Amino acid sequence: MLGVSRLTRRYGGITALDDVSLEIAPGEIVGLLGANGAGKSTLLRTAAGLQPPDAGTVTIAGMDLWATPVEAKRRLGYAAEEPTFYEELSAEEYLAFVSAVRGLDAPAARERAALLFGVLGLSGRTSEPVQQFSHGMRKKLSFVAAVLHRPPVLLCDEALEGFDASGALAAKEELRALAAAGTAILFSSHVTETIERLCDRAILLHRGRVVRELDRSVWGGPPAGPSPLEREFLVVSGSTDG
Amino acid sequence: MPVSRQASAFRQLERTLTRRRLLQLDPRMRGEIALLSLLIAGFLFWQVRVPLDGLTRARGPLAGTAVIVVAWLTLAGLGGILAGTRHVRCLEAGPAGPEWLALPCEHGPLEHHLAWASRSRAWWLVIPALGVLAAAVGLMPTWWLAPLAAAFALLLYAASTLGCAIAYRAVRITPRKAGLHRIEQILSQAAPRLMRRRVPSPDWQPAPAWVALAAKDLRITLRLGSVLRSVSLPVALGGLSLLAWQIPGEPATRHFAAFTLILLAAATLAEWLAMLAGSDPFGVLRVLPIGVATVWGARFAWGAAGTLLLVLGQAIAARELAPHAWQLFLIWSGAATLTIATLGVNYGVTLFPRADLAQRLLGLALGLAVVASVMLPLSGWIVLLAAVLHSARRLPHWSRLEES
Repeated sequence: MLGVSRLTRRYGGITALDDVSLEIAPGEIVGLLGANGAGKSTLLRTAAGLQPPDAGTVTIAGMDLWATPVEAKRRLGYAAEEPTFYEELSAEEYLAFVSAVRGLDAPAARERAALLFGVLGLSGRTSEPVQQFSHGMRKKLSFVAAVLHRPPVLLCDEALEGFDASGALAAKEELRALAAAGTAILFSSHVTETIERLCDRAILLHRGRVVRELDRSVWGGPPAGPSPLEREFLVVSGSTDG
Repeated sequence: MPVSRQASAFRQLERTLTRRRLLQLDPRMRGEIALLSLLIAGFLFWQVRVPLDGLTRARGPLAGTAVIVVAWLTLAGLGGILAGTRHVRCLEAGPAGPEWLALPCEHGPLEHHLAWASRSRAWWLVIPALGVLAAAVGLMPTWWLAPLAAAFALLLYAASTLGCAIAYRAVRITPRKAGLHRIEQILSQAAPRLMRRRVPSPDWQPAPAWVALAAKDLRITLRLGSVLRSVSLPVALGGLSLLAWQIPGEPATRHFAAFTLILLAAATLAEWLAMLAGSDPFGVLRVLPIGVATVWGARFAWGAAGTLLLVLGQAIAARELAPHAWQLFLIWSGAATLTIATLGVNYGVTLFPRADLAQRLLGLALGLAVVASVMLPLSGWIVLLAAVLHSARRLPHWSRLEES
């Protein structure tokens, strides 16, 4: 579903990605682990079409990203590490715009957006301009925009960083639901615990190269529900929210 | 840290920032700035030289010096206003730099540093001043020029400092808190001024992507102050071009005034279109399934709509022209406006996300077209069409542009 083949990307004299290849099958959630500067964001930005590679190809659901960008991007969702928006638009206006550009069925998209806003705890704030949003709220909006069209391929760059615990749990549920419906997900994080709980497989990136690939059998255990601490948080936030 | 050491640390910071900002200008931008400076200084030289020559011949060099002093005072006054208005805006919106209140800064050096940042733009007025000074060369004793130049630098410094001081006192503080220094009150109220604002729910209507983009452009224009100011200029100039037909006197004067104002309206319309392209966050458009045709089409639609409105207005306002002249005038005005608007769209799209660069190149291309037209009638069209074609050649590269 997502194919990255011999991808190389340089910034001046620095090689940020060096001959990286990976495949993600439909329904698979693959974690991308690496230290700061390992090349995770470069890989995801290049795979999302934000910057062209110096060498190599990216295929999204069989479409070459740089040969047929529009068709490929119809099948792609991307939640950025540092998302950017039209700051003057409200969250709902932004999603209505994204929905129209993607050619989605408007009532269905509106309903899904409302549902996602609800589970992520943004419901009361969707008519405010994005410039009034906190970092976590911006990340949630970016996540909603990325999954609104249930893309066949989803790229998440530190997507849950900044989420509160209940939002993170809801987002993980959404990711699992998407994967169950056949979405191939590449999920980058530097938090190993998130990868362990969410992903079927993990790819370790170091200095722009894939140095190891591990599957769930290495760290074991099924994807668990909330941890004891998360359960306590949910109890508290649930009671304070009324 | 003692005050003197802090003051010296701020001076060091200012020197470093100045050096860094100069180094950040790429060679092409430096060339453009030099060229524009030369054009401005040259224009002023051209305007001032002949009257100054006449004056010094008739009344002596002292009279010429008096004129230069008046020019100095005017430019310095403008510098003071520029620095002051910028300072008010900076203090109200929150100045650039770190969280100043989190640092153990003494009030004096911090106030001076913030004023320094606001004063920096006033120094651009040195460029027209050089044009005026160059016009005085040979008309008065040479040794007068250096003191005149120094006097201007001092005047500009004093005026911009005064402008900032007035601006500092003019910032309203509500509510006043006892025990806090004025700069602390200003900085503490600058950040949390964001009020919870809501907008009406949007229509989730299905629409072609270019229509969604164009509708989004309208929303951004109405909500973003700088873009709104940018679009108000072509609207005002377009309105004035209609009123130009009411000027009393010769019909040729009206015709000339209307056409000049149409060209100015077209240029500012193109500038708005280039600015719109720059208002797109890079990461938003690039991950959406749209190509350059959609983006270009949305912006061109606004250019075409602006042209249509202008031509319709002129069709009503210019009824005094004979039928053949009326048709020719409308075709000429429409073609010029649409071509200039297209150039703005092309630069905006192909230089995305560098709207500043797009606007500068647009200004240069239009300036060259005007110069060419003045030198050889109609040759401006050749320059303009060449610029449109040249910029259009880069459109296919849009999908491979990178965030700068």
